Amino acid sequence: MAVVKLQVDGREVVVEKGTNLIEAGKKVGVFVPSFCYHPGLPVVGVCRICLCEIEGRPKLVAGCATPVEEGMKVITQSANVREARKAVMEFLLIHHPLDCPMCDKGGECTLQDYTMMMGPAHTRFTFEKQTWPEEDVGGKLILNKNRCILCLRCVNLCKTVAGQDEIAVLSRGEETYIGTVAGRKIENEMAGNIADICPVGALTSKDFRFRSRPWELKPVGSVCTLCSKGCNTKVWYHPRRNEVVRITARENMDVNQWWICDRGRGAFWGIHDPNRLLQPTRRQGDATAPTTWGQAIPAIAESLRAIVERHGPSAVGVVASGELTNEECYLARSIFRDGLGLANVDVVERPQPPVVYPKFTIEGDRNPNTRGARAIGLAPGPRGLGVADMIRAAAEGSIHALVFLRGGPLEQFGDPQAVARALGRLELLVVMDPMPSPVSGRAHWVLPGVSFAEREGTYTNSQGRVQRAPRVFTLRGDTREDWRILQDLGRSLGVWMHVDAGPQQIFQRLAAANPAFAGLDYTVLGDLGAPLAAASADVAVG
Amino acid sequence: MESNGHVLMATTGLPGSHTLAVYRKHGGYEALAIALSKTPDEIIDTVKRSGLRGRGGAGFPTGTKWGFVPKSNDKPKYLCVNADESEPGAFKDRLLLAKDPHQVIEGTLIGAFAIGARRAYIYIRGEFAHEASIVQAAIDEARAAGLVGKNILKSGFECEVVIYLGAGAYICGEETALIESIEGQRGEPRLKPPFPAVVGLFGCPTVVNNVETLACVPHIMKRGWEWFAGIGPERNTGPKLYGLSGHVNRPGVYEAPMGISLRTLIDEYGGGVPGGRPVKGVIPGGASCPVLRGDEIDISMDFDSLTRAGSLFGTGTPVVMDDTTCMVRAAWITARFFAHESCGQCTPCREGCGWMQRILWKIETGRGEERDLDILLSVTDQIEGNTICALGDAAAWPTRGFAKKFRDEFLQHIREKRCPLGGGSLH
Repeated sequence: MAVVKLQVDGREVVVEKGTNLIEAGKKVGVFVPSFCYHPGLPVVGVCRICLCEIEGRPKLVAGCATPVEEGMKVITQSANVREARKAVMEFLLIHHPLDCPMCDKGGECTLQDYTMMMGPAHTRFTFEKQTWPEEDVGGKLILNKNRCILCLRCVNLCKTVAGQDEIAVLSRGEETYIGTVAGRKIENEMAGNIADICPVGALTSKDFRFRSRPWELKPVGSVCTLCSKGCNTKVWYHPRRNEVVRITARENMDVNQWWICDRGRGAFWGIHDPNRLLQPTRRQGDATAPTTWGQAIPAIAESLRAIVERHGPSAVGVVASGELTNEECYLARSIFRDGLGLANVDVVERPQPPVVYPKFTIEGDRNPNTRGARAIGLAPGPRGLGVADMIRAAAEGSIHALVFLRGGPLEQFGDPQAVARALGRLELLVVMDPMPSPVSGRAHWVLPGVSFAEREGTYTNSQGRVQRAPRVFTLRGDTREDWRILQDLGRSLGVWMHVDAGPQQIFQRLAAANPAFAGLDYTVLGDLGAPLAAASADVAVG
Repeated sequence: MESNGHVLMATTGLPGSHTLAVYRKHGGYEALAIALSKTPDEIIDTVKRSGLRGRGGAGFPTGTKWGFVPKSNDKPKYLCVNADESEPGAFKDRLLLAKDPHQVIEGTLIGAFAIGARRAYIYIRGEFAHEASIVQAAIDEARAAGLVGKNILKSGFECEVVIYLGAGAYICGEETALIESIEGQRGEPRLKPPFPAVVGLFGCPTVVNNVETLACVPHIMKRGWEWFAGIGPERNTGPKLYGLSGHVNRPGVYEAPMGISLRTLIDEYGGGVPGGRPVKGVIPGGASCPVLRGDEIDISMDFDSLTRAGSLFGTGTPVVMDDTTCMVRAAWITARFFAHESCGQCTPCREGCGWMQRILWKIETGRGEERDLDILLSVTDQIEGNTICALGDAAAWPTRGFAKKFRDEFLQHIREKRCPLGGGSLH
């Protein structure tokens, strides 16, 4: 790649050919403001806030639209530049409501920030401002055109990332506005990103608006668990309310660039689903009653032991899930395959059609860690049964106990009536899941695990990239992190004797034991993850 | 050829001047035959030497523009004829389209041959539906006569000429907005560079020329660049159409050499101001050009002289205003036009034009304060040079021109809290 050497405010910088002045400035810590420019969208050069001076050129240039040239001397701090930017700020504010305390964007608004930084403190515009009514434009977005500065990011996101023209620039001159056409609504599943990149309070998220102020929240870098893409996210936690109030995209150029889909964006609703399982329960006959962890874990261990002793290890099966973290998969493998010697261990795989947009694909595998589970060896052992065969064997009576490490709708495991019959025959049915399902409804023991936000762990996405998701918070209730449940069960079974303080130690054991994870630790994973040693090859460990 | 000393308007007064028969009877399409016998480089060189500068307002040398088209590029090339004549005060191209469309088509074909284009678009503003039908009929006639389409004049040169009708936006006369419009997009100017000569219509090398510019080309081919360069002052050569309007006895389109005195144009061609009233101000070349006071009209009508005088030659279409005209209202009307025509994509133009218009209306209606005048001038400064295309400048310049040249009249409005001229006679 050809490089270009230039100066920005006297500082020498070497960048790739084709880099614009904003990015060149970033490299040496020179701040060039921008509204319309976004590295993931086409350059439109309309807001004009990034005007810069280039020595020897009579006119100011738009920093976003000007590629670097060898020997170029860029000046971002001259009187001319300051005046031009001040002018743009004044122009943008003449029709903009000056009511930041009323606006949902307050506290994370570029226009507000820049006004504090360089904008005029007083208005010289004494005329009536243009006003527009608020409207629902679909895509879980509310459009407030009064606040819009026509940076076109929303239009270009829909156009280039989602390939849709559901929202467009309409009319012209100072009557120009952003809107949907002919009663249409935004329907693409990338639209939520608009709320992330709108630099003002013009397009805000229905799921988030007016629910809290950004400064009340703690953003935690995480990973989305709704498909095998493994998008990097920020989970916004409200400590006072002990609540996750939104999820936004976090940049990772190797995975999701700047975007996440609206499913992942809405994942926080699931965390706070009122139907969440919050206490271990035990069913005896038709009666289901709450129980304690202290009773449940030893009782389950004892039952499992007894069945293995009576009928042999082939009478027990484990139906695991790609929802589990690498650490949980490793525990499950160590406990059930290696410890108890079970061969009937498998992961449910029910891929859906992928949702393909021009610059973003929602993967067909709707679990975050199927690849990790397989790499770790959550698969049938010698003469072991897969999920469908385990169900069949349960129906025939040769399997007496099933442990579901995540439940789900019955059709996920086979013909729903056959699955129901099979589960009904079991001597022991254990389910670990944060959410109730027809499987947990039939279980003898229900162990309330937790959502991705309440437990720490790593996930291996479909590319073979291992990424960390920290614990964000703990929900009230008698839930337990899934890795703890497994570790407790392993100890009770006498097959896992370690007392690991947390997933980091378990991950170290995994990395030491499994060549695919060799060389990885939390430091290597960092904030953006790292590929499996064998990420380029297809990993299959038995 | 011409009996009246005219070049561009030699036959426009004749019956059937728009037909191929009349055009050919007066030597039409002979220039095309001459051009096709030369190489494209020779044609470009001839046009360069003639000194022809673009008649659409900016005055860019035509031959130089053609020379920018890269020869080593194997993409198709396009010639666009800018017939979006929308500048208030300008109506010269309309005359050529309606009365002598073959002259424009012939120039277009020569231009297309010179730059290697096999397709030319004539972008006609939608309001010129009548003119467009005349041009279409002319294209059809030319095609039937083997002058448009395949194997033109049996030379092997092929060129289609296609009309594209605009939908009523001034900004589509800006060359890159025109290109966007032909592509079916919103008529919004593009960021430059790249310039159209390299990346233009459909991403291909493109030249956009004004109607009158191309109408000059056949004459240069036929009579030689020396003849053309001998007309008018240095660097401002050739015959020119002047569209005269406002307070003159005989408004209309006149042909005269480049460099004619503005006073001569008004007094002799336009027959002076009705009632012998004094000239108060003249917008020399269309609405985007800063106004001249009545005592500044002894000036050569050419690009360089008017630029030196702090105004612009523009399209060479003076609007004359007598002493009954309110200059605040004239400024407001101009500003209102640009505010309405701003495409709205970039901030300074979108917001600044509307603001200027409001301030001018406030002053005109007697509600202005002295500081409004300062704000007005600072808004013009804040727009100028900071926009994507020249429309922002085109809006800022005339406002500043009116406010500076007629500052006393603005202050009088503010002091007397009314329009001293009762609103003037321009509406």
